[in-house]
Amino acid sequence: MARSHTGEARRGLGASIALHGTLVAASAFALIPLLWLVLTSLKPKDAWISSDVRFFDDPTLANYEYVLTETSFPRWLLNSVLVAGLTTVIGVLIAASTGYAISRFRFTGLRSILWLLLVTQMFPVAVLIVPLYNLLGRMGLLNQYPGLVLAYLTVAVPFCAWLLKGYFDTIPTEIDQAGQIDGLTPFGAFWRLVLPLAKPGLAVAAFYSFVTAWGEVAYATAFMTGDEHYTLAPGLQQFVSQSRAEWGWLTAAAVMITIPAGAVFLAVQRHLVSGLTAGATKS
Amino acid sequence: MRRTPLVGLVTGLALALAACGGGGSADKPVTSVDPATVSGTVTYWDTSDAAVEGPVFKELIKDFESKHPKVKVNYVNVPFGEAQNKFKTAAQGGSGTPDVLRADVGWVTEFASLGYLAPLDGTYALDKPEDLLPTPAGSTKFNGKTFAVPQTTDSLGLLYNKELLKKAGHEAPPKTIAELKQFALDVKDKTGKTGLTLNVDGFFVLPFLYGEGGDLVDAANKKITVNSPQSVAGLKVISDLISSGAAAKPAIADSYLAAMTAFKEGRTAMIYNGPWSTTDALKGSAFKNKENLGVAPVPAGSVKAASPTGGHDYTVYAGSKNLAASYAFVRFMSSTDSQSKVAARLGLLPTRTSAYARPEVQGNELVKTWKPIVDTGAPRAWIPEGGQLFEPLVQAYQGMATGKLDAAGVGRTVDGKYREILKGWN
Amino acid sequence: MTTGTRRDAPGLAADRTVRGRRRAAGPFAGRWSAHWYAWAMVAPVLLVMGVLIGYPLLRGVYLSLTDATEANVGRTIGMNTIPATYRFVGLDNYVQIFSDSEFWLRLGWTFLWTVASVTLTVGLGLGLAMLLNRRLRFRGLYRVILILPWAAPAFVSTFIWRYVLNNDFGLANGMLRAAGLPTVEWLDDPTMAKVSVILVNVWLGIAFNMVALLGGLQSVPRELYEAARVDGASAWQQFRNITLPMLRPVSRTVILLGTIWSFNQFPVIFLLTRGGPNGATEILVTAAYRDAFMGLRDYSGSAANGMVILVLLVVMASLYLRSLRKQGEVW
Repeated sequence: MARSHTGEARRGLGASIALHGTLVAASAFALIPLLWLVLTSLKPKDAWISSDVRFFDDPTLANYEYVLTETSFPRWLLNSVLVAGLTTVIGVLIAASTGYAISRFRFTGLRSILWLLLVTQMFPVAVLIVPLYNLLGRMGLLNQYPGLVLAYLTVAVPFCAWLLKGYFDTIPTEIDQAGQIDGLTPFGAFWRLVLPLAKPGLAVAAFYSFVTAWGEVAYATAFMTGDEHYTLAPGLQQFVSQSRAEWGWLTAAAVMITIPAGAVFLAVQRHLVSGLTAGATKS
Repeated sequence: MRRTPLVGLVTGLALALAACGGGGSADKPVTSVDPATVSGTVTYWDTSDAAVEGPVFKELIKDFESKHPKVKVNYVNVPFGEAQNKFKTAAQGGSGTPDVLRADVGWVTEFASLGYLAPLDGTYALDKPEDLLPTPAGSTKFNGKTFAVPQTTDSLGLLYNKELLKKAGHEAPPKTIAELKQFALDVKDKTGKTGLTLNVDGFFVLPFLYGEGGDLVDAANKKITVNSPQSVAGLKVISDLISSGAAAKPAIADSYLAAMTAFKEGRTAMIYNGPWSTTDALKGSAFKNKENLGVAPVPAGSVKAASPTGGHDYTVYAGSKNLAASYAFVRFMSSTDSQSKVAARLGLLPTRTSAYARPEVQGNELVKTWKPIVDTGAPRAWIPEGGQLFEPLVQAYQGMATGKLDAAGVGRTVDGKYREILKGWN
Repeated sequence: MTTGTRRDAPGLAADRTVRGRRRAAGPFAGRWSAHWYAWAMVAPVLLVMGVLIGYPLLRGVYLSLTDATEANVGRTIGMNTIPATYRFVGLDNYVQIFSDSEFWLRLGWTFLWTVASVTLTVGLGLGLAMLLNRRLRFRGLYRVILILPWAAPAFVSTFIWRYVLNNDFGLANGMLRAAGLPTVEWLDDPTMAKVSVILVNVWLGIAFNMVALLGGLQSVPRELYEAARVDGASAWQQFRNITLPMLRPVSRTVILLGTIWSFNQFPVIFLLTRGGPNGATEILVTAAYRDAFMGLRDYSGSAANGMVILVLLVVMASLYLRSLRKQGEVW
């Protein structure tokens, strides 16, 4: 699997340089803005606005200290973890059952459900905010975590269901049939047999749900009020007042947000590739 | 939340509270309420700078709570940039709303026209209206009723770098637009720095329009005046400042910040800005010596020197279930005592004449510097559509800054947009 | 996973097996109980989506045929009762949209923005995936670095880019100045602003495409390439005749999703340029946002805009899927 598909075992020096050169350039492009974020967070609070652009400027952890001790950042972080966590767990469960049903059962409306899922992603969020706000208000879910989770599910579930449907398609139906012969219900077959086999696909779905909820701004800003309920995106906006933005704090907070997400990423990135691959080359 | 069965009850309760708080009834104005008897929870959305101003307001709120032991204030800092939208979304749906909102002066008539605000005439909230400065008080009126109590006022002035002007041969700041241009060109010639840096923003266009006798609209006569000869002359002043090199080609993205930073670093000699920016300016390398920062009224155009009035007002949400407590809160927060305290600590300019008589207010440097400038502040068109007027103007101004439009083109374009917003105006 | 069944690759919406199975009838097909189960499993999604998206959508269709704004919808706010005074106006809103010359300019730019974003993200993503699919040193490291932009929340990345591209104190111009080169007005010049927003969108989107396509590449059976080499096929021929067709289930999905996401990509443009300078980077969604939120909220106008966007996307998606079907794919 690690062996290359197309490349020759030995490649010429020139080709090697070109290959690595391209990858290094791409890596630099990917990395520079993030590095710049880290460097900025290490500068004194007001040093970021300077026409004299420097990499280092009196490095200090003061921004981090301020954000962690003087603001509600820890609370926002916790709220975000909670909301993103709930979105992930619930979203993946719902998406998996939907994806499985669409993958396995022939029933009228299959195509329209697939379409429906896709179409929901085509309506601009800006137009949805006000009616959604009123709906949540009527359900008493404004400024409540379940309300925000519900809103995120509308974004995460369609894609995940779609993704998982594709994944379930690759799991042979003989497995389900064997389960049925052993007396399992269709749901039991799904739960006991198919789901465990779909772990890589579930990992991708979980990851996607998490990232969606972790980085969402518009719903969180509209639906949540007050430090106790703010998630990161609306919370961080407190660093931007009417006449200035505290970039020192913003960048420090951004680094602290990105690191956990990045760590999760690094941990699962292998699964990401294989999850999206549906494990076709396993031997 | 589970509103349906409770709707009747809640409305009844609100009415009862309104009645005991003095409501909007035409009866005698309520001038005294025993603070010990007022009760309820007031959710207050504060839009001030959470790091610098927030703590001072929170202290004030503690005072309020100790004087009103049965009232609890639920303080929420809502970032300024989000507050208008958030409030409108909440208000139309009737859930998740605050009881009291700190609103920009430009929002009040819009909110009032939509029925989101409680009229305050004759309520306990509005104390000694005759003591209020007339210009900021103008922002609180809609259809003859008062919908807010001013918290603070501000306006635009000319901030200048004394050293750079001196090097260019000028001891005093420019008093007219002609001088502004000349001084700026002198700075450019003699020091190699930029003379003037503009901020591509609607609010910051107004001094130039006012200076030539123009304005965006004439609210009294329901006329759109942005394309009038006077207003176009004002726009021409801007384009002339840029094309002559007196002003640098203005930045469009983060325009405010670019101008402010250039000023702080001593790369430009003059900018237009308000009292809120003074503290920030003093942090700049060019103003290590505080004395180097000069503040003057905006230079006069061919007609007059005037700059637009800004600031913030306290408003009460019409659907509040704690009107009595909210009124008491607004009264307390907008009192001479509170305003003086805030002015002394933060340099926010009070809106009550009586506050300027207080020694702690008079002793505040910021207030001392800016009071005369704010006195020249011109009232803006306080119409519900006021909040929509800046966006088309900024867009067209960006067109002018990138050389796509000339002054007449800006006037024409913006005039066209305003006709869509202000239906039936001339 | 250890079954000998050959799985169809690429996964986002693999279909060949499905097609086969569908023809042969699904395992539980035709049984009432199976349908009951199926609906029970789909029900939660249908319910949630139906209430939270379906209702606003239908309401949007209705509102787009009226002249409803924030000011004329009925409401009771405490002591203030405002009756509803909006009217049914038929297709007026749509007529207004289509007769506005700015709409057509914006539509052109929206298409350009979408096509450029999708082409670049998918193209570069595929290129990088193919490089990473080779045996080479530091492969794991490259992969980790290249995935990182996906890990940072988009609002954080966009803010950073806005800072990096700032005229005076941005890193980009800082480096140009240090190198003695003239600086570029990344966000202030109308043309450069267009380039910049695409650049940032590509930066944000590449990682997802790369990972998805890498997954697709790794699932292409090696024997196919070996057989092709035996037949003397060139690298290009192999790419053309093996890689691309085998990738189609993945590429189809990433292209479709990329199109939808770019078309509706609100945060990047709004946070970077707010649609400026002078509307140069305004796409349909940011314009719909303006109608919905700036100034007096125009419920009917923004709903009509939303419908136009929805219909355009549905039409585009259908055309795309139809063209795939013509090539023998079943979706």
